[in-house]
Amino acid sequence: MKKLMPVLTIILIAAVAAIIFISLSKKEDMITIQKGNIQKLPLPIEPSHVNDTECKMVITDTTHACEVVAPNGNTWFFDDPGCMIKWLEDKPFKDKAVLWVKAFDSGKWIDARKAWYTQSDKTPMHYGFGAREVKKEGYIDFNEMRLKMLRGENLTDPRVRKKLLGY
Amino acid sequence: MDIFLSNQVLVFLFSETILYLLSIIAFLGAVQILKSWDFNATTTRQYTLEKRAFLIVTIILFTLTLKILLLPYFAYTIDKLSLLIPGAMCGAGVISANAYGNPLLFLKIIILFFIGIWLIINRQDQNAIDYPYFKIKFWFYLFIFVFLSVEYILDIAYFSHISTSDVVQCCSAIFGISGNNPIPFNLTVEMLLIIFYLLYLLTILLCAQKRALLLFVVSLLFLYIGYESIVHFFGTYIYQLPTHKCPFCMLQKEYYYVGYLIWGTLFLGVFFGIANFVLKFLISHEDPRLYRLTMLFNTIFVILCSTYVVVYYIKNGVWL
Repeated sequence: MKKLMPVLTIILIAAVAAIIFISLSKKEDMITIQKGNIQKLPLPIEPSHVNDTECKMVITDTTHACEVVAPNGNTWFFDDPGCMIKWLEDKPFKDKAVLWVKAFDSGKWIDARKAWYTQSDKTPMHYGFGAREVKKEGYIDFNEMRLKMLRGENLTDPRVRKKLLGY
Repeated sequence: MDIFLSNQVLVFLFSETILYLLSIIAFLGAVQILKSWDFNATTTRQYTLEKRAFLIVTIILFTLTLKILLLPYFAYTIDKLSLLIPGAMCGAGVISANAYGNPLLFLKIIILFFIGIWLIINRQDQNAIDYPYFKIKFWFYLFIFVFLSVEYILDIAYFSHISTSDVVQCCSAIFGISGNNPIPFNLTVEMLLIIFYLLYLLTILLCAQKRALLLFVVSLLFLYIGYESIVHFFGTYIYQLPTHKCPFCMLQKEYYYVGYLIWGTLFLGVFFGIANFVLKFLISHEDPRLYRLTMLFNTIFVILCSTYVVVYYIKNGVWL
């Protein structure tokens, strides 16, 4: 047994080191900010690899995703237009930032300020604002969506939900 | 400043102040002894110093022993404060109430380890005929005193900066999942557990072989992995809730104060594991009994943690 113990010790140390190294090599840090987007174009979001900067959730579905590009090219990602509005509100570059949103009707990235919004979409954070490229009756513009979001007049308010969805 | 109306905080700070005053007296005495000590001299001065040394060692022994008892009381105090601070559900929120909390807790644990080493050196010194570690234990006390001073300043800074009106985060917000894998080395829970048990086996093997340096390294890693395993796995079985990840809630009455036993056995096991290497470094001497104590406390710790998981499975038939 005395001769066996050093061998066992080496095996255990090697096993611990191997597990740690293998786990470290698999490391895939979540992206929360992408720098250097000087052209201010919408960046592709790989599902489950990017964090929403406001609610911290992993973006697994990009149907309602948004991006904010600051004047210096820094880009932040969001899973819900409501998150983008909340996060942007106290930023010094909020009026100069380029805002991209995924349009639900066309599936394209469009300028969030020119998009039209429904108020009753099933969005990840349940605010309900879904972007559309083409205007239809009942849709609201960006400024109205922003005000409603900041006032809390969205589907997270039971009164608004009752009025819009009936439950 | 409302926080000073809390009985626990008052008792804690009063005790810390008394102990710090005693440690200052011991510090001054230790400096004097180190300056003028000469074992070979037969002067009145040396005779006076020898009598004084006995008093100073007694004061240090008393102070440091009570400091050990004050750590669980500190944990108890911050846990009780969670009733006063909005948002806090347990000690996790209270300790994060300002920037001083976490460094203070970390420092207290480090000091506890130093105190343990000092107590062992003192015991070995007093058991020997010729007091071989007399000077080294006083030098080591001066080293500890620096940490005690920083700790006392942090104690005051921490408690005086706790606001009873500002909302703090609860443990679910602090330790909850927020996107990135919160487990170190990007480990999955399964891998974390495999490493946890492998490290435990390693500490047992190294104790059996009396390998002080390796045991020192492995014990420190075991402390870190043990902490993470409790937060991310074993704790959920103590709380019987897969989303409840907190190292502090288990100190509460609802969980039969089991946290004191869990953290106590982990710290004791790790302390005895690292002590022999430090003793070798400081006094070129090790104590074989410490290997047995490492095995004992690490085994109690691992059995205690594992029992919660097994009992939960037997009762409910599922894993969390």
